[in-house]
This record gives sequence, structure tokens and C-alpha cells, in this order.
Amino acid sequence: MRELIKYSLFDYLRSHKYFPPVLIFFILIIVFYTYTPNPVIDSYAVTALFLYIVSSWLCLSFLSVDPPVQSQVMILHIGSLNRYYMAKLFCLILISFILAICAFVYPIIFSMFNETVTFTIGFVSLLNHVSLALLGIAVASLFSRVIMKSAINSIGGVALIITISLASLAIYDSLPSPFKNIVWMIPPAVSTQKPLFNWDGNLSDLSLFPFIWIIIYSILLLFLFLKLVKKFR
Amino acid sequence: MVKYMATLFELKNISKEFGNKKVLHNISLTIDQNEIITFLGGNGSGKSTLLKIIAGIELPSSGKVNYYDKEIKIGYVPERFPKLIRFTPVEYLNSIGRISGLSQAFLKKAVPDLLYRFQLEELKNEWIMNLSKGNIQKVGIIQAILPKPELLILDEPFSGLDSHAQKELLTIIKELKDKGTTILITNHEANIFEMVETAYGIRNGLISPIINGKKEPIKLLEVKRLDESHVLKWNEVLHMEKKKNRLLLYVQLKNSDKVLYRILELQGSISRVETVEEFHLKFGP
Repeated sequence: MRELIKYSLFDYLRSHKYFPPVLIFFILIIVFYTYTPNPVIDSYAVTALFLYIVSSWLCLSFLSVDPPVQSQVMILHIGSLNRYYMAKLFCLILISFILAICAFVYPIIFSMFNETVTFTIGFVSLLNHVSLALLGIAVASLFSRVIMKSAINSIGGVALIITISLASLAIYDSLPSPFKNIVWMIPPAVSTQKPLFNWDGNLSDLSLFPFIWIIIYSILLLFLFLKLVKKFR
Repeated sequence: MVKYMATLFELKNISKEFGNKKVLHNISLTIDQNEIITFLGGNGSGKSTLLKIIAGIELPSSGKVNYYDKEIKIGYVPERFPKLIRFTPVEYLNSIGRISGLSQAFLKKAVPDLLYRFQLEELKNEWIMNLSKGNIQKVGIIQAILPKPELLILDEPFSGLDSHAQKELLTIIKELKDKGTTILITNHEANIFEMVETAYGIRNGLISPIINGKKEPIKLLEVKRLDESHVLKWNEVLHMEKKKNRLLLYVQLKNSDKVLYRILELQGSISRVETVEEFHLKFGP
């Protein structure tokens, strides 16, 4: 699988398809930190949402980089459909992790904050970036060209779900009480926002459940993706 | 020469539909190890779909493919090898080899050897996407044979190849067969018939044997002014293809006189009587 990961990363780099999402991500980060100083936790919470959107874009482009026949040939060589797509998903997680590190390190290097970043705040913020990147990949994988043959359905589907997930707090507030639980179905992209905005930096005051829920939700979606890929081949 | 006779896989009632269009109808076949099998049929007859189902790339709408050895290594040459590959032949083939689990020592010897055999040495450092159609096809063939597969699936492998590469591919097919590989091939090249032990015709998603393992001679009759509804009732006709205003009938030699007589009786006109090999040599698909 390591060889396929290497091959896929090289292929993606040479395709230059990474350029638009990565460029937009860096522009968003730079523009966001234009005015200084910034609050640490709140700023990281926002950049993690940027990464959520960009990682879903990366996922759509990464999973469409191999022509279908090339994917078929590769699956035969690696001997398993699951191994092929797991290698692809691993590449995406790796790319998103690098972007998460960049989003984390940039404001520290250029002194964009009004306070120092403690180890706890840094760890939780990085965890938030990584878990939201994973969620973005998981959501987009279900709308990738591997499953949706039409580009409009693929891009439109992801855009719609991402918009709904970003608006889920407002949706929750506007729903009558008996229907509020429907929000659990929506990707929990903003579930960490409220706790982070109200957090004082002390780990014992922060519920880790929203982070764990994002990871569980993402793993369930990725599992569903691997099941659907077998059905749609 | 190694000769295996064990069954490699079995197709059980395979059907495939794309929307409302039924491409394959209830196909059942048993393929033994170390055989060369060819599938004949016109465009859109379902040959490529059948090969993809055998390779496991595509799922049948109904039916099953049973492999007796689950860990079988399959080499697959698609009908059109993708052009958009951002690697040089050397990079690509080495990557494919490593992905297949081949050792670096093996690849160091095998990749240059295969590039030499297919006259790709001078192009080994060019990007595949910049190569000609024929040279891309050669890379497609090399990637399939590099891991020494137990089952090699070749979908129209000769199309676009120059005569040297065609010869080389035939030699490699012979070599692989001698080492016990089973080869499934769709093509119209006459040379392959010398090696083929079994041939199947596919028409409208239905499969019928043309040459069986005993190499019983088959005649191909080209007929005009004959309604196909008559032919469908004749058990002696192994396979029928409709080409414009003529019908191609595959008939065992021992039954050919009987069929000829029936055609004349119905005032059909026989424009050609040849062996299957002769016909495909002259007219291709």
C-alpha cells in the first residue's frame, strides 16, 4: 500500500489539481490574519472550518485524478478495491494534515495572536483542524466521481451538504422541539465551535465529546464510502 | 511445457444490464488453467464487459464468477489504455511492479528487458501522455505481463500495435502459456488462431462455442438474401453474426454441406466459404 500512496501523491502533484484548493486555503488564512492581534482559540476554530471546506474540495479532485481505466488497472495490481481506496484516503488525510500544520504554525510564526499558544490550546486546536479535515474528506468522498458520475451532482451535492452542515446550529434553533434531533444526521462541522468559543483554555472545562463525535461520524461515512464503491464499480 | 488442467474459474448465469439495455444474457462458462481462449464478436457485443466481469472490475447484474484460487494474480490490458498518465514508462512500470509486490532486483532486470522487447527503450524517459497511441498500448501490455499473472486478460491488445510489437506480443503469449498462464483475449488477428484452443462467439449478449478444445475445424459461411429467423432454428450453426446485408454463420466442417444445402433451398446466396482463421486474417473485425 505504501507504494500506491507514493504513486498517488506523485500523480496528484504532477496533475496540479491540488493548486486551486491549496491556493484558496492559503489566501483565506492570510486574509483572515490581516488584522492583528487575534484571539487564539476563536481564530483556530475559524481556520479549522476553512480546512473542512478545502479538504472536501481536495477530496473531490484527488479521487478524480486517476482515469477510470487506470483505477481498474491499479486495483488489479494492488489486489483489492478496499486497499486501493484506503491508500487514496490516507493520501488525502496526509495532505490535509500538512495543511492543518500550516494553518496552525502560520499565526504563531508571524505573531498574529494577542496571547501565547499554550500546549493544551495548541493540541485541541490542531485536533479540531485534523478532525474537521477528516470530516470534509468523508463527506466529499460520498459525492466523489467514484460514486457520482455526474460532475454537477458531485460538486452540487458537496456544496449543499457543506452549507447545511455550516448552518446546522441555526437549523437546530429554528426547528420545533420534536424535530431538533434531526440535526444529528447533519455532518457535525460546527459542533466544536460553540464549546471552543466559550473555552478558557483549561482542558478540564472542555467537553471532548464533539471532537470524538466528529471522528466517529467521519469514520462511519468513510466506511459507507468503501461499501458504496464496491457497489458502484 | 507445463500443462495444468484444473479449472481456474467458472461463470454462473452471468447477466449484465446497463439501464434498459441487456448486454450479457445468462452466460455460463468454465475456464481451465493454461488455456488460450478467444472471444469473437462485433462492436458492442458485450466482449469487453464480459472480460471486465471476469477481472472483477465490473459487477454482473446477476450471476457469479467463482475463482477456485482466491489469490489469483490477474493481468489486464484494457481496450484503450488511458493516455493521461503523468509518468515516464520506466517510472510507471517500476511503480506498478512495486505496487504488485515485485522485488526491486526483479524489476531492475524485467522492466528494461520488456521495454527493449517492445522497442520502447528510446522513449523510456518520455511522459506516457506524450507517446503515440501504439506506444501507450505497449506500456499497457507491459504493465499487465510484468507481474507474471496466472490469468492474463487482453482486450483487443493488437489494435494500434506495429508489426514488430504484434509479433513480440504473440511470442510473449506463447511464453506465458508455456509457464501455465491462462489467457483470455478478444481480437481479430489471425495469428492468434494458431494458438487458440477455444473460441467463443458473443452476439447480442449470447455466447456460443466456435472452436472447442479439440480444435474441430469450423467453416465460416458468408450468406446474402437469407432471413436470420431461419438460421436461428438450425442447430448446426454454432454462432451467427449479422453484418450489414449479410450473415456470417459459424458451422462445424462436418455439418457445412447440410447448412449449405439449406441455404440454397431457401434461395440464399453464398458469397464466401472459409475457415474462421482465413476469414479473420483477411477481413479483421
